[in-house]
Amino acid sequence: MAIIVNLDVVLAKRKMKLKELSEKVGVSTVNLSILKQGKGKAIRFSTLDSICSALDCQPGDILEYVE
Amino acid sequence: MTAIKHVLAAFLLVFILVLLGYYIRPENPVVIIICFVIIGFFVFNLTIRKSLAYRRYFESKYNLFTSKVRSEKVFDIPEHLMFEKIIEVIDNSEFKLIEADRGAYEILAITRMTLMSWGENLYIDFETKGGKTIMKCCSVTFFQIYSWGKNERNWDVLLNKIESSLTI
Repeated sequence: MAIIVNLDVVLAKRKMKLKELSEKVGVSTVNLSILKQGKGKAIRFSTLDSICSALDCQPGDILEYVE
Repeated sequence: MTAIKHVLAAFLLVFILVLLGYYIRPENPVVIIICFVIIGFFVFNLTIRKSLAYRRYFESKYNLFTSKVRSEKVFDIPEHLMFEKIIEVIDNSEFKLIEADRGAYEILAITRMTLMSWGENLYIDFETKGGKTIMKCCSVTFFQIYSWGKNERNWDVLLNKIESSLTI
């Protein structure tokens, strides 16, 4: 059971670079890389809100629960 | 080594007190010479502390004028990301980033001088083992035989900041 982060998939669909997203959401590329690799400890609602706004997607597009 | 250090510290203290008691005369240059030697040694350490090149000098077990505390912590984050993360954490803390070697993944950060200490050097490097990154840290007090627990507190502060920064 795990939460999978599909940020790289959404970024690829939007043809957006991580650096570009970083500038739009105001989160460092290091933090986004850690998040993208699913190594983050937690994600703030404010960060999720900014990412969804910048990528025009739903939280479920980024986070996925798999058994 | 710690026992030698304690004996040396006690000896130095007694030696200085004896010198001050017997030789402190306006016409006697011994005390002045000793003061100049101590100040010279202090300035020398102060000059070279802001360079990763002198890391071995400060970390050496034979350097009795520094107090060292070594710690390590395992993270499930790749080495290159961890390196950048630590730089970010240091930039947002009371530590001051002095040097970061991106080739060797080595970091030198310092704390400022306070009433409690002359300041500490924080040497950080990384090792990858079994897909995990081991962050190794050596906190060295500058020109101070005893750390009075400052090294351990520095390490705890840094670890807490790293942990909280992983909430993105």
